[in-house]
Amino acid sequence: MDDTLLTRALAKDRLATSRLLTLIARGEAIAEIDEAMAHAPRPAVIGLTGNGGVGKSTLVGKLIQPYRERGRRVAVLACDPESPLTGGALLGDRVRMPGSATDEGVFVRSLAVASGHQAVADHIGLMARVLGNYGIDRILLETVGAGQGDTAIRQIADVLVLLVQPEAGDDLQWEKAGLMEVADIVVVHKGDLPGAQRVEAQLKDLAKISMHAPEVVRASAAKGEGLETLIDSIERQLAVARDPA
Amino acid sequence: MALEIPLRVVLAKVGLDGHDRGIKVVARGLRDAGFQVIYAGLWQSIEDVVRTVADEDADYLGISILSGAHMTLAPRIMEALREAQLGHVGVILGGIIPVEDIPKLKEIGIERVFGPGTPIDEIVEFLKQQGSRTHG
Repeated sequence: MDDTLLTRALAKDRLATSRLLTLIARGEAIAEIDEAMAHAPRPAVIGLTGNGGVGKSTLVGKLIQPYRERGRRVAVLACDPESPLTGGALLGDRVRMPGSATDEGVFVRSLAVASGHQAVADHIGLMARVLGNYGIDRILLETVGAGQGDTAIRQIADVLVLLVQPEAGDDLQWEKAGLMEVADIVVVHKGDLPGAQRVEAQLKDLAKISMHAPEVVRASAAKGEGLETLIDSIERQLAVARDPA
Repeated sequence: MALEIPLRVVLAKVGLDGHDRGIKVVARGLRDAGFQVIYAGLWQSIEDVVRTVADEDADYLGISILSGAHMTLAPRIMEALREAQLGHVGVILGGIIPVEDIPKLKEIGIERVFGPGTPIDEIVEFLKQQGSRTHG
């Protein structure tokens, strides 16, 4: 590693910060970076998960600006799968996160996740501290599109948001064990589509009779609806997660 | 087959040019050759592209231009990258580029121009030979 890299990163240099993320993603110099970032503030990590096509990237893209308006500095870590055959990856989430090219308070990074791993890249905690050092205080961590059993993100995220959409199965689907049990917030996404209100009602009913009752929010990234409600909900859950009384 | 260090390549289209068939073919070809391809999509401003290259810590930037505006856009992209201290990033160009423009594009620092019909392997081999720009 270039000797000046850590110094520059600690001085909040954007390119050095970006390079450290590359090293961490490659699993290089982990101990060294970990030591250098030992006193860096840790941003709140908000995990967003749900099946492929449910609208994670689009929703994340739409949360950036409202968060900026609340004075938060936001990073996105967008995970996409790596080919098990070639190790190659097509990281396309940025396409759905339209530009804030001149805003220093937004940092978007795409990460490839090796096959056979869970739904997020390794060393996310260390990446979070490197971004925290840069001044980021909210990280939107998007999974590759987790299935029902992929619950490793629970250990990484301070708040876990699960996206579901209308017409994704009958109400028994929600009874299955897995992600629904570990989510703090369930977003009925594509909330402008027919059936969304019914799904919202089913999930709210279910929450009433469950030991673990996530907040249920209906939102539509396409229509820009429910975004502020969702952020309120995330911030409420963060307060609980950080100060469990 | 996997690359020892996966090269990160940002692919983008700049300006008012909606023809993305070619760049998507290249994206897929590089992915299948083991590259990490960050696809930034259509209608990017030069500022968007520079920010993407910076935050993604790309080794290469591939720009596709089919609008005929390459002699205006390419120099501005190269200038913006240098200003952002991203002069180390290799830049390649694809699209409809008249042969007589290629020497001028190389003069301003475009490393290669790949025209229509280029086999993907040719792009893959070129990038592999050049190697990482971010890793010493």
